[in-house]
Amino acid sequence: MVRGTIFDIKRFAVHDGPGIRTTVFLKGCPLACHWCHNPEGIEPGIQLWYHESRCIRCGQCVEVCQEKALRADPSGGSFIQINRERCALNSDCVSRCPTHALEWAGREVTVGEVMEEVEKDRLFYEMSGGGVTLSGGEPLQQASFCREILKACKDSGLSTAMETCLFAPRETVDTVIPLVDHFLVDLKLWDGQAHRQCTGEDNTIILENFRYLAERHSHVTVRIPLIKNFTDAPDNIEAIEQFVFSVKSDIPIEKLDYNPLTPSKYRRLGKEFQCS
Amino acid sequence: MTIMKQLLDLNMTERIKALRERALASPRYLSLEQARIITRVYRKSPDLPVNLKRARALACALEEMPIAIDPEELIVGNRTPDGRAGVVFPEAGISWLEEEIETLPTRPQDTFEVREQDIHDFRTAILPYWRGKNLEDDIYAQYGAEIKAIEKVVKINQKDHAQGHICPHVASWLRHGPTGLLQQAREKQTQASAEKVEFYQGVCLVLEGAICFIKRYADLADQLAQSGTDEAISGNLRKVADVCRQLAEGPPASFREALQSVWFLFVILHMESNASSFSPGRMDQYLYPYYERDVRDGGLTEQAALELIESIWIKFNQIVYMRNAHSARFFAGFPIGFNVAIGGQTDRGADATNSLSYLFLKAQEHIGLPQPNLSARLHKNSPDDFVDACTRVIGLGSGMPQIFNDESIVPALESQGISHRDAMNYAVVGCVELTTQGNNLGWSDAAMFNLVKALELTLNNGRCMLTGQRMGLETGDLSDYDSYVDLEEAYGRQIQFFVDKMIKVCEWIEAMHQKHLPSPFLSTVVDDCMARGLDVTAGGAVYNLSGIQAIQVANVADSLAVLKQLVYGERRLSREELLAACRNNFQGEETLQQVCLHQAPKYGNDVVWVDELGARWLTFFADQLQRFTNVRGGPYHMGLYTVSAHVPMGKNVAATPDGRLAESPLADGGMSPMYGRDCLGPTAVLRSVARAASHRASNGTLLNMKFLPVFFKTRQGRKQFLALLKAFVRMGIHHVQFNVLRREDLLDAQRNPDAYRGLTVRVAGYTAYFTELAEDLQDEIMARTTFGD
Repeated sequence: MVRGTIFDIKRFAVHDGPGIRTTVFLKGCPLACHWCHNPEGIEPGIQLWYHESRCIRCGQCVEVCQEKALRADPSGGSFIQINRERCALNSDCVSRCPTHALEWAGREVTVGEVMEEVEKDRLFYEMSGGGVTLSGGEPLQQASFCREILKACKDSGLSTAMETCLFAPRETVDTVIPLVDHFLVDLKLWDGQAHRQCTGEDNTIILENFRYLAERHSHVTVRIPLIKNFTDAPDNIEAIEQFVFSVKSDIPIEKLDYNPLTPSKYRRLGKEFQCS
Repeated sequence: MTIMKQLLDLNMTERIKALRERALASPRYLSLEQARIITRVYRKSPDLPVNLKRARALACALEEMPIAIDPEELIVGNRTPDGRAGVVFPEAGISWLEEEIETLPTRPQDTFEVREQDIHDFRTAILPYWRGKNLEDDIYAQYGAEIKAIEKVVKINQKDHAQGHICPHVASWLRHGPTGLLQQAREKQTQASAEKVEFYQGVCLVLEGAICFIKRYADLADQLAQSGTDEAISGNLRKVADVCRQLAEGPPASFREALQSVWFLFVILHMESNASSFSPGRMDQYLYPYYERDVRDGGLTEQAALELIESIWIKFNQIVYMRNAHSARFFAGFPIGFNVAIGGQTDRGADATNSLSYLFLKAQEHIGLPQPNLSARLHKNSPDDFVDACTRVIGLGSGMPQIFNDESIVPALESQGISHRDAMNYAVVGCVELTTQGNNLGWSDAAMFNLVKALELTLNNGRCMLTGQRMGLETGDLSDYDSYVDLEEAYGRQIQFFVDKMIKVCEWIEAMHQKHLPSPFLSTVVDDCMARGLDVTAGGAVYNLSGIQAIQVANVADSLAVLKQLVYGERRLSREELLAACRNNFQGEETLQQVCLHQAPKYGNDVVWVDELGARWLTFFADQLQRFTNVRGGPYHMGLYTVSAHVPMGKNVAATPDGRLAESPLADGGMSPMYGRDCLGPTAVLRSVARAASHRASNGTLLNMKFLPVFFKTRQGRKQFLALLKAFVRMGIHHVQFNVLRREDLLDAQRNPDAYRGLTVRVAGYTAYFTELAEDLQDEIMARTTFGD
């Protein structure tokens, strides 16, 4: 069975497509937006995640780490310091930690395991017109895993949605079009240069893919994340709106408020947040 | 959508705004007037049979109690001239007041002002007569030791007041009126055998009193009309007089008369007995013919109907129930329980929602006070409009309507021998207790059984971990149980030990109620008391159940999951170290406590084996109850609701294997997960709760959920909430209710109570003013998990 790496499955997701949904977050993203709301989704591999607010400073993780990658630092800042180069991703510290302060960001799962989880809320999908949403990261980074989940959903009569930035080869996009009932496409910046600066990649592929998709699929919604000083400039929003309108006049556009929990997520991964 | 559109345009009138404001502002006083009357009657006729003493005392109160009318009221009447008075009923219980009368104004929960003169009269004229003669004293003199011996595990209720939790036969009261019922009773009396004559004599006395009481309101309204100068006010008072005069002479004809008649019924029931919760039941059903006729023939507009409904809605808040300080902690915020059920089905299974169901929701939206306790019955074919109308009102945050599920409740009631027809016509009493209408003494809330304390005793050889006192069966302690099966076996024996003792006490208590508190007026509106000439306390009702609450499934499941997985399974914890940690309240064992809290799954997260641990013990408990028959010949059955008792009950319980600290609250509600431990959202909670043996809890269940107001602000959010309710109806859970509040608002209300006088929150199966709750209960409500971000 095909396996993939996910970093969360969220039930009762009510903003990821129609109805009540379960959203599966797949790990790995080709972009690296400065403001990314799910920084744990950027890297394709599993990472160690440290929730300082849960830590009771018992120090047991330091004792059990065979690689000596963990160090307790009572002097201030983060109590547990992780040497990520040394860390061999053994599970000793995670399974010992009494409070889940140390946790895996990411886990490898089979399609069957994903399906077992999403099946639980079938009744709620039926009552609400909801279903399963694939998100990330960028789900198309694990295209074959995506396809298998989507097929399994279709086979068992579950509605599907995908949240994507569309930075992917055209052939990949092509393979999921018939399997997805609703696309939620993130369009962030109209200006190519700015896009490259803030996300690491040019947006030409994205805009072409968008046009291609919108011409072939009748349920596409555009989402613009409103990031202060990056995407929220009126000209940027207007330009995206005009472009979308020129592709098809009836495509809904949602503007997403910034997630206030984001900065703490960066801290847990030992990363710096650039957009505060 | 027509009814919904029409409703949008209906307003709260200036009259209702003013009445609502006055209802909120009125201070609460202790009232001794009726106690003086009762004492006089009992003193004068010491040799009368008790039912006639009770009847005469009520009749005198109906004739003599001072009455008042607010000139703007459309619906009039109360049991005291002031609203929200704490009425003393000495025949039920008075000893607690001997100790507490001075502290009523300052106690932590449910305060009352007390006049100096009343303290004096109470101590010199009332207390001396009743000492040793009332229900409470008699119970404690005879059974005090037995009650005390089990009190940390079993809290026995209804020891110092009459039993309520009854839904009278309102339809019959409306059909016959007191005059029609009196005629029936007189006829019965002439044919009755010698031992039944006294029953009918009592009934006649109280019905004559009731007619007099209603006439007095007609007379007072006339007087006030004549002395007034404002024509609009005098006009209203003359109308009030006409309505009351009609009701004193016969049954109601109009919608307004029917509402007034309903209110008189409940005032008089509360004058006969200081009981918690006489419930109006399915008002939208039995009032509909009056409404419909007036709309058709009399030109009654929806706006005028709504104003009448809102008038009685305000009245429901003017009778409160004074409990002793201990009891007020378990039932905080005066839950008097005027429970009104709307929607649901006809006995043939058709949807029963009508215009009144919607108007009641509109009234709830406008009034938003703790009473009535509004309950919406949903079923698989409930119209989306109705569910949506409920959703809108829930989103406003008064905690109502609470939602009941016909699909699971009807079969649960039938399993207790209730006919299909009566089960389909069920209503709700008190908070969430299920009942048939007009033919049932359900004796809800007979006792609360603390399954968590029983587990503590099982782990500690029958001894209380807090005090070391021996209370239960000596089954050994945790270190003696070599397997999980051994532990379960000991737990089962411990529960059985306390169930046996509890049932004995319940039987005594009921016999004492028969001895002290026969209720002739109530017996006129509960089938088949009148037909059989048998008082309701003596078993005159068609159905005679007794409800016992099992407390608290979440802590039992979570604790057993730790024992099963971490102690007996993985052996991550040794039996000795966990036992020692619980005995020491995890002092110096913080890491071990965290392991208990986080390393075994918890109830509320859709983990089948954990949920089933809870269900197994609920089933065991329900099976235990079914071994017994109560003194009225009916079954004992299980309820899963705590009112506010999870806070004081938690105070009795030492640290538990689930990581909960000693004396801290248990999980709230009855079926809710322990706060903060459900991490996967509302669908996972519902799926866990659905596994917890609701079908055995025919006495009623309670599930609290908390949502953020923002969730209800958008159409999309309301649609998703509606879908959640429709899924709930298909999950076999009896009840769910919602607090829709922001934590910040509650914190602000704690700091500035005056600014939040009207803020209501859902405590358990009832709503109370947030600022009138004790601080620990306020904190607990804030700690519950919130959904909808």
